[in-house]
Amino acid sequence: MRSRLRNLSFVAMGIAAFFIGDHVDELRVTQGMMVIYTVVAICSLVLLTGYSGQISMGHGALMAVGAYSAVLSRTYWHFPLAATFAIAVLGAAIFGALLGVAAGRLKGPYLAGTTLALAFGLPFITSQFSFLKGTQGLPYDLGNAPKSFRDNATEYKWYFWIAALAGLIIIWLLSNLLSSRYGRQWRALRSAPVSAELSGIHIGRSKVLAFTISSGIAGLAGAILAMSVKSAFPDAFPLVLSFTILTGVVLAGTTSLAGALIAGLLLVAIKEDLSGRVTDYFASGPHISDNLPVFITSFLLIVTVLFAPNGPKFRKK
Amino acid sequence: MLTILNTSLIGITAGSIYSLMALALVLVWRSTRVVNFAQAGQAILSTYIGYEVISRTNNYWLALPVALVAGAVIGALVDALLIRSLTKRSANGPLASIAPIIATLGLLGVIRSVVGMIWGGDLRQYKAPVSNIGFTFGHTTIPFSRYNLLIVITTIVVMIVFTVIFQKTSLGLALRAAAFQPETARLAGVKVDRIRTVGWAFAGATGAVAGVLITPQSGLSPNSLDSLLIYGFVAAVIGGLESLIGAAVGGLVLGVGLAFIREYVNSNLEFPSTFVVLLLVLLIKPGGIIAARRGRSA
Repeated sequence: MRSRLRNLSFVAMGIAAFFIGDHVDELRVTQGMMVIYTVVAICSLVLLTGYSGQISMGHGALMAVGAYSAVLSRTYWHFPLAATFAIAVLGAAIFGALLGVAAGRLKGPYLAGTTLALAFGLPFITSQFSFLKGTQGLPYDLGNAPKSFRDNATEYKWYFWIAALAGLIIIWLLSNLLSSRYGRQWRALRSAPVSAELSGIHIGRSKVLAFTISSGIAGLAGAILAMSVKSAFPDAFPLVLSFTILTGVVLAGTTSLAGALIAGLLLVAIKEDLSGRVTDYFASGPHISDNLPVFITSFLLIVTVLFAPNGPKFRKK
Repeated sequence: MLTILNTSLIGITAGSIYSLMALALVLVWRSTRVVNFAQAGQAILSTYIGYEVISRTNNYWLALPVALVAGAVIGALVDALLIRSLTKRSANGPLASIAPIIATLGLLGVIRSVVGMIWGGDLRQYKAPVSNIGFTFGHTTIPFSRYNLLIVITTIVVMIVFTVIFQKTSLGLALRAAAFQPETARLAGVKVDRIRTVGWAFAGATGAVAGVLITPQSGLSPNSLDSLLIYGFVAAVIGGLESLIGAAVGGLVLGVGLAFIREYVNSNLEFPSTFVVLLLVLLIKPGGIIAARRGRSA
C-alpha cells in the first residue's frame, strides 16, 4: 500500500514537472534544473549521512567526477545523452567506492576533514591532465533538442524534462533501496553499530556500499549540473556547493527524501530569489548581494543544528 | 646541494605556518573534542581586523597584537555562544556525532560571508614589516628572507609559550585536566566550561597569528586561508591531533615534504600528495606519526 502510494507520488511529480516546465519562462526552467540537481545531491547525502551515518563535506567533488565522466564520454566517445548519465553514475560510483574503502574506517571529524580536503583539492587536479582542459573546462555537447523545441527557442525546456525524468528515476530507485533490507541495515549500523554487527551485518562492507551508491547518485547530480550550464569546469563545483548540499541534508532532517525536496527548493529559492529581494529592499551594494545567499544558508544551518539537531520533523512514523 | 638546502628552507617557512594552524586545531580538539573547521573563518576575520589596523596606521607591529587579541576574543565568543550550548543540546540522535562539525562549517560560512559583505571579495595586500628578499652570502641569494626568519621565530615563540603554559602553570594543569577527565576535573573544582573557552581563545589567537603571518605572501581575500585550513588539518592529523609537539612536527614534515615534491617531482602534485599523505596516515597509523599515548576516539 505504502509503496503504491509512493509510486503514485513519483508519477504525480513527473506530471507536475512536465506541465510546470511547459508553462514557465526560460529563467524559471534553468532554476528548475538547479532545484533538480540540488535535490538529487541532497538525496545522495540522505543515504550517506541519514542512513549509514557517515559525513561528507566533499560531495561537490563527487558531482564533479560525475560531470566530467559524462562530458568526457560524450566528447571522446560520442555516447548518447542517456548513456552519458549512466557513465556519470558509474564513474562517480567507482571513485566513491575507492574513497569509501578509506572512508569506512574513518570516524566523524577525520572523515569530514578528508572529504573537505577532497572538495578543496579536486579542482587542482583538472589542471594536471591536458584532456580536462584546466579552468576553462569541457563543453557538454547535448545534441539537438527535437525540432518543435528548437523552433520555439526553448531547448532548455527539453533539458529540464530530461533532468526531471533522470532525477525522478534515481530518487525512485533510492527510495525503494532505502525501504529495502539495505536501508534497514544502514539504519541499524548507524544507530547501534555493535548490535548491528552482532546480528550479522558486515559494517565495513555496508558503509562502503553506502558510500558507493551515494557517490553514484551525486555523480548524476553532477551530470545534470553540467547539462544546465552546458559544460563541465572546475569552478562549477566550488566548496560552497558541497556546503550547500550538506546544509540541505540537515534541513531535510537527514533521513527524509521528501524533506530533501523541500530543502532543495528552499536553498535554490534563497540563492536565486530571496537574496535578491532582500538586497533590493535594503538597496544594498554588490558586497552584500554576493554574500547574502551563503550567509542565509549558513545561518539556517547553525540554527537548525542548534534548535532541531535531528532536523525538522518531516519523517512519518 | 644548494637546491636541497633552499628547498628545505622554503619548506620550513611554509611548515611553520602550517604548524600554527595545526596548533589552533589541536588546542580546540584537546579542549572540546571538536575539529574546528570555522578556524579558517575566525583567522580570516582576525586577519582582516589586522589589515584594517595596518592600512590605517601603517604599523605591522601594532596589527599583529590587535589581530591576536581579536582572534582570542572571537574564539572565546564562538565557544561561549555556540559550541557550549550545542554540545549540551545535541547529546543524542542521528546527528549527535556530526552536529559540532556541521555547526563549525555553518559558522565558517557565516563568518566568510560577513567578511565578504564588509570588505568585498577583492584580493588585498599588505607589506611584510621586514625585508622579503632572501639573505645573500657572497654571490648566492638563498630563498630565506628576514621575513621568513620572523615567521619561524614567531612560531617557535608561540610553541614555547604554550608549552610553558601547559606544563608549568596551574591554568595549563586545569586545561589538561578539563581535556582528559572533564568529570573528575569538575569535581576537583575546575570550571570546565570556562577552561574550555580559554582553550578556544588560545586557539583563536594562534590562528590569527598564522593568518597575519601568511598574508604578505598569499594576499588576503575571504577565502585566502582555506588552503591553510586543509594543510593545518593534515599537519594536525600527522601529529596525532592530540599533542602540541605533534602539531609542530606535523606542520614541518608537511611543509618540507611538499617543498621537495614541488621542487623535484612536479609542482602540480602538491595538493594530490597532501591528500594521499592524509589518507595514508589515517589508514596506516591513525594515531599519528608522533605516537599518541592512546587510541583516538572521535
